[in-house]
Amino acid sequence: MAAAEARGDGRRAAPGSLLLIAVALLFLGLFLVLPLLAVFVQALAKGVGAYVAAISDPMAWAAIKLTLYVAAIAVPFNLVFGVAAAWAIAKFEFRGKNTLITLIDLPFAVSPVIAGLIFILLFGSHGWFGGYLKVHHIRVVFAVPGIVLATIFVTFPFIARELIPVMQAQGKDDEETALSLGATGWQTFWRVTLPNIRWGLMYGVLLCNARAMGEFGAVSVVSGHVRGLTNTMPLHVEILYNEYNYTAAFAVASLLALLALLTLAGKSFLEWRQPELRHAAAQARDRTRRNNP
Amino acid sequence: MSIALRGIGKQFGEFAAVKNIDLDVPTGALIALLGPSGCGKTTLLRIIAGLEAPDEGQVLFDGRDATQWPIRDRNVGFVFQHYALFRHMSVFENVAFGLKVKPRRERPSAAEIRKKVQSLLELVQLGWAGDRYPAQLSGGQSQRVALARALAVDPDVLLLDEPFGALDSQVRHELRRWLRRLHDELHFTSIFVTHDQQEAIEVADTIVVLNRGRIEQFGVPGEVYDLPTSAFVHRFLGQVNELPVQLRGGRAYLGPIDISPAGDAPAEGTNNIALIRPHEIEVGSADVGWSASVVAVRVIGPIVRLELSAEGLPANELLEAEISRERYEGERFAVGQKVGLRFRRWQVYPAGGAAA
Repeated sequence: MAAAEARGDGRRAAPGSLLLIAVALLFLGLFLVLPLLAVFVQALAKGVGAYVAAISDPMAWAAIKLTLYVAAIAVPFNLVFGVAAAWAIAKFEFRGKNTLITLIDLPFAVSPVIAGLIFILLFGSHGWFGGYLKVHHIRVVFAVPGIVLATIFVTFPFIARELIPVMQAQGKDDEETALSLGATGWQTFWRVTLPNIRWGLMYGVLLCNARAMGEFGAVSVVSGHVRGLTNTMPLHVEILYNEYNYTAAFAVASLLALLALLTLAGKSFLEWRQPELRHAAAQARDRTRRNNP
Repeated sequence: MSIALRGIGKQFGEFAAVKNIDLDVPTGALIALLGPSGCGKTTLLRIIAGLEAPDEGQVLFDGRDATQWPIRDRNVGFVFQHYALFRHMSVFENVAFGLKVKPRRERPSAAEIRKKVQSLLELVQLGWAGDRYPAQLSGGQSQRVALARALAVDPDVLLLDEPFGALDSQVRHELRRWLRRLHDELHFTSIFVTHDQQEAIEVADTIVVLNRGRIEQFGVPGEVYDLPTSAFVHRFLGQVNELPVQLRGGRAYLGPIDISPAGDAPAEGTNNIALIRPHEIEVGSADVGWSASVVAVRVIGPIVRLELSAEGLPANELLEAEISRERYEGERFAVGQKVGLRFRRWQVYPAGGAAA
């Protein structure tokens, strides 16, 4: 009875749960907060002037622009693909559905280095399409198109994977209702399906974007490391680090870290702005409270 | 709008959901598709709506072949068991949805939409709730919003898939009566699916009982309840007692009670069962009829249910009889008391085969 009462009141935690919370906080501090802090401390170790200089260096600037450019292609591509694939998988029955789900997961299973090598094998000068590309003076490998392809490959599953469970849980009732009310397929998608999945979609886009900007292995293989031309931010960080230029390396790294923090902040802000989402969140909390008294 | 189904069949893989269904729903009717889960009632409703395409057969709307019409051209309102309200829209926007997605030249003006939505919300007694979001509504309120939304586009047909299935019994009862009134006021054709025989009897003009993808019986509620044509329907609509029909010396008996038909005697060797509803058992003094003893007494509001152990039946096979509260107040049957049973009505079916 006493134990049940203790559990019933969330504010009065039992010693066991205090221990668990302490362990969780300790790990969080050790593995997330501390490293993040270290990045910024190291980046600003030689003062703000050195930090600004490191970032405004033309090579660093080129890497930043290339990273943004690649993400700006890879994320929308995977957005369209992810929504289409999740839609098909969640709302329709068709032959080969399980194969499709497995294939979408393939980039998770394959090492990024191998993903990069695949594109060398396909589009490199001795690769399957190498001869054709050479004749037509198209450079894929060791150039920007290769980096884009490798990034798309690696970030392929993020949005689809995020959406499939959301869409499956929501079922088809909403869409069928919209159609019965006279909406076209297009109207149904924009007015019903998309708003229903927007949070899952945003999570997916954020994750996809973070990975697209942060991807190292696959991009490293296909990039060729041409400074100012085919270096993305992570590759640039590595080069600076290998040259013992720690301040510059961490300065660029801090930009990547900052990006992660900004996306999190943006997500929280959007949730705070949406009134009906607050209701939904409050209801979800109520439900959890009721279900776990 | 009248609806006719001609030879409708639908397979899901190996499973035949509905088989060769013929059904006529006249304009303005309120019809219940009743049956246990897996009987094909929802599939049939979805075929009428155009959410599912039949493998064979035709769907006729006012005599015109609508089998290939997409759902948005059928002008049907569809209401789901779990409401399917658009959760990112307010109640007002939900109801207005069907009007706002109309092509520009058919779309009413914003003021007209506001007026119509408000009047629909008044109709479902939710005039105050336009600014609320679905997450803030109770189940009964949500289902009324779903109904208002379906009515906004002036459908010719209203299709409801277990519309009250997710509600608690008090709200369910209110909404049933309310739906019936609404139907009588607005005169559209309605078809609703339910597995609850009481709901079907209370609300519908006509009940279609489905079993294993086929129509088992079709008729007005009283007729289906009182004159079931099969043991399945008899069992499905209400409580029944089942007794084997025994043949002795060319006569048929239930226990010691002779139920031989007036005309020809049943052939030796036929295997029949009799189904008797609890209120068709007459409980009287111990010296008349089939002697039995009272095992349990349950007072359920206006009726009293007696569980009876009849002589010659195995101890675990109890008969259930229902008597009126008034009678019970007069006679005070007690547990252990000896009584005599007679049957006012029964119906004989061949045993096996027609099992539920």
